[in-house]
Amino acid sequence: MSWILTVLSSSIGKKYIMAVSGACLSFFLLAHLIGNSVSFWGKEAYNSYASHLHSLGFLIYILEILLLLLFLVHIVMGITLFIENLSARPNRYAVKEKERNWSASTMPYTGILILLFLVVHLVNFHFITKTVSTAELVKTTLSNPLIASFYLLSLSGLTLHASHGFWSLFQSLGINHQKYNKLLQLGGLAMAVIIGTTFILIPLLIVTTDSFLQ
Amino acid sequence: MNIIHLTLKIWRQTGPESKGSFKTYESGPITTAMSFLEMLDVLNERLILSGEEPVAFDHDCREGICGMCGSVINGTPHGPEKKTTLCQLHMRHFKDGDTLVIEPFRSRAFKLVKDLIVDRSPFDAIIAEGGYVSVNTGGTPDANAIPIPTFTAEQALDAAECIGCGACVAACPNGSAMLFVGAKISHLALLPQGQPERSKRALAMVKKMDELGFGNCGNEKYCEKACPKGISISNIARLNREFMKAAFCSVEE
Amino acid sequence: MQLDHRIPSGPLTEKWDRFRFETKLINPANKRKFEIIVVGAGLAGASASATLGELGYNVKTFCIQDSPRRGHSIAAQGGINAAKNCQNDGDSIWRLFYDTIKGGDFRAREANVYRLAQISNQIIDQCVAQGVPFAREYGGLLANRSFGGAQVSRTFYARGQTGQQLLLGAYSAMMRQVKTGKVTLHPRSEMMDLVVINGQARGIVTRNLITGAIDSHAADAVVLATGGYGNAYYLSTNAMASNVTATWRAYKRGAAFANPCFVQIHPTCIPVHGTYQSKLTLMSESLRNDGRVWVPTRSGDKRPPTEIPEAERDYYLEKKYPSFGNLVPRDVASRNAKEQCDQGKGVGDTGLAVYLDFADAINRLGEAAIRQKYGNLFDMYEKITGQDPVKEPMTIYPAVHYTMGGLWVDYHLMSTVPGLFVLGEANFSDHGANRLGASALMQGLADGYFVLPATISSHFAKSALVPITTSHPAFTEAIDTTKGRIQRLLSINGKRTPDDFHRELGLLLWDHCGMARNEAGLKLALDRLSELREKFWHNLKVTGSGADLNQTLERAGRVADFIEFAEVMILDALSRQESCGCHFREESQTAEHEAKRIDDTYSHVSAWQYQGEDQTPTLHKEPLVFENIQLSQRSYK
Repeated sequence: MSWILTVLSSSIGKKYIMAVSGACLSFFLLAHLIGNSVSFWGKEAYNSYASHLHSLGFLIYILEILLLLLFLVHIVMGITLFIENLSARPNRYAVKEKERNWSASTMPYTGILILLFLVVHLVNFHFITKTVSTAELVKTTLSNPLIASFYLLSLSGLTLHASHGFWSLFQSLGINHQKYNKLLQLGGLAMAVIIGTTFILIPLLIVTTDSFLQ
Repeated sequence: MNIIHLTLKIWRQTGPESKGSFKTYESGPITTAMSFLEMLDVLNERLILSGEEPVAFDHDCREGICGMCGSVINGTPHGPEKKTTLCQLHMRHFKDGDTLVIEPFRSRAFKLVKDLIVDRSPFDAIIAEGGYVSVNTGGTPDANAIPIPTFTAEQALDAAECIGCGACVAACPNGSAMLFVGAKISHLALLPQGQPERSKRALAMVKKMDELGFGNCGNEKYCEKACPKGISISNIARLNREFMKAAFCSVEE
Repeated sequence: MQLDHRIPSGPLTEKWDRFRFETKLINPANKRKFEIIVVGAGLAGASASATLGELGYNVKTFCIQDSPRRGHSIAAQGGINAAKNCQNDGDSIWRLFYDTIKGGDFRAREANVYRLAQISNQIIDQCVAQGVPFAREYGGLLANRSFGGAQVSRTFYARGQTGQQLLLGAYSAMMRQVKTGKVTLHPRSEMMDLVVINGQARGIVTRNLITGAIDSHAADAVVLATGGYGNAYYLSTNAMASNVTATWRAYKRGAAFANPCFVQIHPTCIPVHGTYQSKLTLMSESLRNDGRVWVPTRSGDKRPPTEIPEAERDYYLEKKYPSFGNLVPRDVASRNAKEQCDQGKGVGDTGLAVYLDFADAINRLGEAAIRQKYGNLFDMYEKITGQDPVKEPMTIYPAVHYTMGGLWVDYHLMSTVPGLFVLGEANFSDHGANRLGASALMQGLADGYFVLPATISSHFAKSALVPITTSHPAFTEAIDTTKGRIQRLLSINGKRTPDDFHRELGLLLWDHCGMARNEAGLKLALDRLSELREKFWHNLKVTGSGADLNQTLERAGRVADFIEFAEVMILDALSRQESCGCHFREESQTAEHEAKRIDDTYSHVSAWQYQGEDQTPTLHKEPLVFENIQLSQRSYK
């Protein structure tokens, strides 16, 4: 079975790993988004969703471990690719290309931003002894303007990351067809914008609207 | 036909081991009907007469098909015109007083030889690993024995148009050769003649590509934009697909 | 010198079969004992290297480019001929043979041309099997087009880049042999001399263009596939590095040069813009199918074309050749354009161009239809000139395109130096005094894939080759000569660049040994040429050193050889006092000012033999015998 290692350590193999882990993380993002969206229905609805989630018991631990693994794979592979690619072009050009592909060129940087965000996010909501309801915790934490602006910045970064990532994962997996390319590109972009704005709405509403989650 | 004057900042480097730097030259009067390389010829003629070594640059057919020429002009391989090799870029696309920064293709896999000349032999090394159909001369079946749909032949030709100039590698921030390899893999994977070695080819060529120090594709599309023949990145997607099929479904290793 | 063509006996149609049967073969196990050097990696060189490698020979392939995929065959646009009769329009091997020999104005060997026509079909099969993506009909079968005035559709094509696709096929076949180790590549290496030992070609001396190192390589046979010498004219449709050096060095070592004055000048090229111009670009002659050629009736008329009324336009081709009109053959179209410009009726900034007008065709068929047909050519034209041929007529002018002359070879493609084989445009063998469109690719591949691999074994079987290494004194002598020559070029330190001399040479040849030649002009050119040569060796400036990548030095060496070579070209043009094919001697015209061939005196191949520095070369004549066809005068009236 050593061939699997050979395949996965090749340039294209690494891209598959990025794409597949990216795709799984996208599903997580979507599930997380749907969960978060419950907050639009008010405090009670949100708290009840949170307690339902916690009542899953050991299942939630398994999911968490899986998620952690996914993140680790995506991050480690991302950093590996970043370093490899830097050394594949040791000399930069004196003049930079005028028309830049921003979302693509910033992938490693938005990736690092998301990693930082992840740490802050987990410290804020996971590694914490809960004394109040989830809704209250969210409300008080994100009322801090410093944290809120960091969330806004990071989630914008996530949107940019996903706007390239969604289409890119299809391309990496070789899913490319003349008839559907437009759909994949626009669909990917639309998904990124929808997911990004919905996520952003929560801290934004908390900062701007007193009645949200009250 | 107009006359323009340009400032040229050209990368000068005497050899692979020496340290290079930009040197600034005034172009002198340049007519807008000249090609970019003719503009360099004019500069070089002047340099020779003044006893300075002329700027070394690769070029041959000067009609956009041999793939020998190519430098980076103001950050863009082959210059600002789309789907145009450097030799087919004409000076009417520049304005009087412009400053042009002229650099060699830069990537780890393409070692610099002199001034604007780089070594693109890694491309040949990749082709040697499988960029062919293994048929000996003679004994081949009648050319019309296998019908090929027009669209398939055209698609294969779209990929086969690659002139091997290396602009894709030069344009890629990661110095990746995926567009070049994707084009060759696609050309042969699309045609019935390429089927017997389809899996072997994909595995071998990718392996060689990795060994030679090319970077990884980040799906950033700079290659497609720089390609003088307009080779599409759908060929990279096909390469990804071909490699996956070969790696997981074939018996080849 | 004996010019033995070694054509097999028997009926024309059986000669090639008979040759292959009668030839001695080399035992497969013994083939690996032979070393073959191939110089050049265009269609002929790459296909020969691939095939020889497949057969088991050890091959060393040299080219001056950075990669063997860049030979100038790559630039061929139109297509490749084959006698497959796919269109059921009456084509046959015999017809392709006849068209080729008639197109060459009956100055090629019957046997060679017939073999070419026979092999043509196999070439297409071979290329398709390699994955060359030829154009297809909707049913999936190969498409054809008619080309260069042929009455049958026998040209196979891949868009406007057939040359590239065929070359990539041959290159990839060769790279497969590189992988197996049977072919060793030496890119960026220029052949500087041929090494002849005991009358046999046994090696070459090369210059590594990166390091400047002078190397020598020994072998059992040397194959030259180094292309034509069109760049003698400075401006041509050839690539910048195309040169005569390899064949010229071989000539100086004893290989006869045949018909050097046969140079094809293509009528539809983009005109010259100024003195800095470095090359000319060909536009497919299919444009003449719908474009009408004209000039203003009044000489010196500088109005823009759209302001010249119909009555003041001279559609000279239609007027002069009512039945063929704008579709007269290449040489006739070229000569007439020159004639108009000589009368001061040329157009454009330089006055060296004529119009090719699509206005009528657009009115008749609509702009869309014309764009559909010629879109890529119009784009190419616009890219170079910045003008849209739909809005104003194209300007065109003839340019040097292909050289039918080359090293003399026999039926085996062997030169007068045993063991030295010459393929493709570098030899003289198949196109006579004029080449038909889409035949160059066919010949390059026929030579490389099929002819040479069959004939070289007969050479090895017959010759007793003693083992030789590069320590042989002949190699030392050739290396010293090469080094001395490079040193000489570097030490002149004059005031003119190689390109400057090259331009002067080009102009001289274009004016006096171009589309129309006469005795006085040619003699004048000879005088001027020796002056030029004198100036070159006294006033040349080459910067840098020989121990480095030095493109100025490379050019200087090539220009020096072009200057020497030009003399033989002019001598050949002088000695052939007839008009035939592209060689138009003004003294030999019909009453209607058309080319007049003189078969009684000039039905021969002229082969020139080197006699030493500053000695006039000797002319040998190989009579051409036509047993199967009737010679006829061309007429396009």
